[in-house]
Amino acid sequence: MVKKEVEPLLKKVQKPARYTGGELNSVIKNKDDIKLRYAFCFPDSYEIGMSHLGLKILYSLVNDRQDAWCERVFAPWEDMEKLMRENGIKLYGLESGDPMCDFDLIGFTMQYELSYTNVLNMLDLGGVPVLKKDRHSLTPIIVAGGPCVCNAEPITDFIDIVLPGEGEEVTNELIDLLIEHKEKGSTRLDFLREAAKIEGVYVPEFYEVTYNDDGTVKEYKNSETAPKKVKKRIVSDLNNSHYPEKFVVPFIETVQDRTIGEVFRGCIRGCRFCQAGFIYRPIREKSADTIDRQCHLISDATGYEEVSLCSLSTSDYSQIDKLIPKLFKWALPEKINVALPSLRVDNFSDELLNELKKIRRSGLTFAPEAGTQRLRDAINKNVTEEDVARTASMAWSGGWNSIKLYFMMGLPTETMDDVKGIADLAQKVLDLYYQNPDKPKGKPPTVTVSCASFVPKPFTPFQWEPQDKPESLVEKQKHLLSSVHSRKISVSYHESKTSVLEGALARGDRRLGQVIYKAWQKGSKFDSWDEYFNYDNWLEAFSECGLEPEFYANRVRKYDEVFPWDVMDYGIRKDFLIEENKKAHRSETTPHCRIKCSACGANMLNGGKCDARTK
Amino acid sequence: MPEPNKWHSDVRVFYEKTGMAKYISHLDTVHLFTRAIKRAKIPIWFTEGYNPRAFLTFAMPLSLGTESYCETVDIRLMQEENLDELTARLDSALPPDIHVTKIAVPKLPPQEIAWADYKIIFEGADETFSERAEKILSDDKITVIKKVKKDREKVDKQVDIKDKILKYSINSENGFAVLNITLSSGIQNNINPSLVIGKLTENSSTDADSASIIKLKSYTAEGHEWE
Ligand code: SF4
Repeated sequence: MVKKEVEPLLKKVQKPARYTGGELNSVIKNKDDIKLRYAFCFPDSYEIGMSHLGLKILYSLVNDRQDAWCERVFAPWEDMEKLMRENGIKLYGLESGDPMCDFDLIGFTMQYELSYTNVLNMLDLGGVPVLKKDRHSLTPIIVAGGPCVCNAEPITDFIDIVLPGEGEEVTNELIDLLIEHKEKGSTRLDFLREAAKIEGVYVPEFYEVTYNDDGTVKEYKNSETAPKKVKKRIVSDLNNSHYPEKFVVPFIETVQDRTIGEVFRGCIRGCRFCQAGFIYRPIREKSADTIDRQCHLISDATGYEEVSLCSLSTSDYSQIDKLIPKLFKWALPEKINVALPSLRVDNFSDELLNELKKIRRSGLTFAPEAGTQRLRDAINKNVTEEDVARTASMAWSGGWNSIKLYFMMGLPTETMDDVKGIADLAQKVLDLYYQNPDKPKGKPPTVTVSCASFVPKPFTPFQWEPQDKPESLVEKQKHLLSSVHSRKISVSYHESKTSVLEGALARGDRRLGQVIYKAWQKGSKFDSWDEYFNYDNWLEAFSECGLEPEFYANRVRKYDEVFPWDVMDYGIRKDFLIEENKKAHRSETTPHCRIKCSACGANMLNGGKCDARTK
Repeated sequence: MPEPNKWHSDVRVFYEKTGMAKYISHLDTVHLFTRAIKRAKIPIWFTEGYNPRAFLTFAMPLSLGTESYCETVDIRLMQEENLDELTARLDSALPPDIHVTKIAVPKLPPQEIAWADYKIIFEGADETFSERAEKILSDDKITVIKKVKKDREKVDKQVDIKDKILKYSINSENGFAVLNITLSSGIQNNINPSLVIGKLTENSSTDADSASIIKLKSYTAEGHEWE
């Protein structure tokens, strides 16, 4: 419900429906009937935030409570922000139109490092002091969750409570506690002391950090009620954990306008570059019946024309062959499309391909990630050239005429031969088109090579590795371009400067808080958007703080270095990661979790249970 | 073309789009109706081919920011339905600011729309506004700047819209200047009321963005209500 003062602004901005609220299935409650107001903030545009599954789960979970009301807040686009600042209008919850500073709990989800400045900007626009030290009252309490908080240190100047892991249970516990303390009229410190006793709650101000002369972390000393290490929370049984029965349906087109069925959490693969593959472990699967029922309910409540399955590697789901026909059974007669994203090349079966052919035909994408077998072994991407070839042949003969291949550049141990290997593999895929007897007539085939720059992340076997420097990446890009010899192969890669910042923030420490603050003051926001990213702002901010991004991004770390994120316990044993790192340097692979458990340690978070092995 | 016996009949959904719903663009309105029809489980005809789409025909697109009491969309039913019951079902599947008033058999095709009534409320009007507006509208010529497509680019063109205005009146309601105006409408000769607002507020201290536009009714060339 938009306030009267906001209305005149809406006529002057692009896509006003981003700011109106009132979408179908959004929840309106009576303020007098509730005890706690929760603002779920996504630090990016409405279109991106509204596509996020975590938001949908927590929104519905909190609103299921009689005593709490969850609203949504997104980063306004530049045109709207300008008008809001000019007219003294504070950033508001879309449901009530009330400013953020009126809320009790303000939760940010940190999906990527380059959204940190948006957190500061949103707090500021919402009338909340940006720096934690300037907030003295019990409420609002600012919490942060999401994958980036496995190393939350760079944002601890702004955040009161960090929630590593899955939020379903701990959010409710925190809400209960805050309601209790509001009623008691406690102080902020009283509340934080009690909160720190909850498993999976990290209160940064209860830890004192000291540094060595070389700038690395010496020690984290816990005080008050805080534990030495904070263990991430997980939901043990996905079949019985909360899942929304309806999604809010935006008025405008967003990134994902469809029903999303969550299939399982965790990943069996163990690709060494992939943070998600480690921090979401152990594996927990939902039953095909549960997924089918949840998807059908949401489709009914939204009218969406597509269902998609969402997990890290959906085709690894052990009951995928049972689930797909179940979905088709009701989706096809209701004219609903079933989409299967991120297929893997090594288990892409004929049957799956045939099911896929029944539905819409767009370009097919695979991710070999590296150009040569040696490098694919080093990163533990267990895909062979034959796998790629077999899948490409099937795709070409199946009638597709464009294939997109995803690669990473700047991987540890990468040489120029590996870079050339990318071009060679793309050429091989293209050649297969012409060898295929029943190739479709008409449009010529295209192979698109998309290269991302590799960024080492915490809790992966590559957390000790130096990130490749921009100069070196530019050389590699040139080499790749000169190795491509067909005009039917196109190459795209991403700006490497944003990767440097991403890398520095990902493995940064608490001192980066002032860097982020300064960059924001210089006007940095929406850093993940190329048109807004301003590298010079950041370089200035670093140098004003006497710090260098290279120290965080490009330095080789020793196995015995104390990391800022060692305060977090994600279940993954450090010894396991060290072992994996050593194997990478020997180009040795590790079999995936269904073949053999590598004892990563994450099963201990779930009483020793891991669905990779029980199925 | 598919054989005609594949569906039962075409019906016209009459609806109002008011309040915050005025900020939903035409394209988003199309999506919104497709989903609402699905939620309401109304069996309608889908186009054939690789990407089957719900077959919907909107009489006229409505500009972003305009409220309306006379919108319509034609849908193609697969079987006979009780239209009153259908009205209630579709209405409850829509967001609150979009309200279905009735579903009925279409009487005339959209090509028959010739005129439309608008009510324009000038909240930010200054004292001289009504007088100025009266003078401009009673002139022999009313030239406005219209964006037209020329060689794939949008260029400004001066056009006289005097004969595109059938009638008008300027009053004051609750202290605001209110213009009731009947403008040329339809697929061919549509005049967007924002052109008139632009004309009436140019070189004045009245803020064009503060004007609320409400579309009230559509008519045929003969002056009958279009249904
Ligand atoms: S516990 Fe074993 S099977 Fe489970 S994720 Fe870890 S390594 Fe894989």
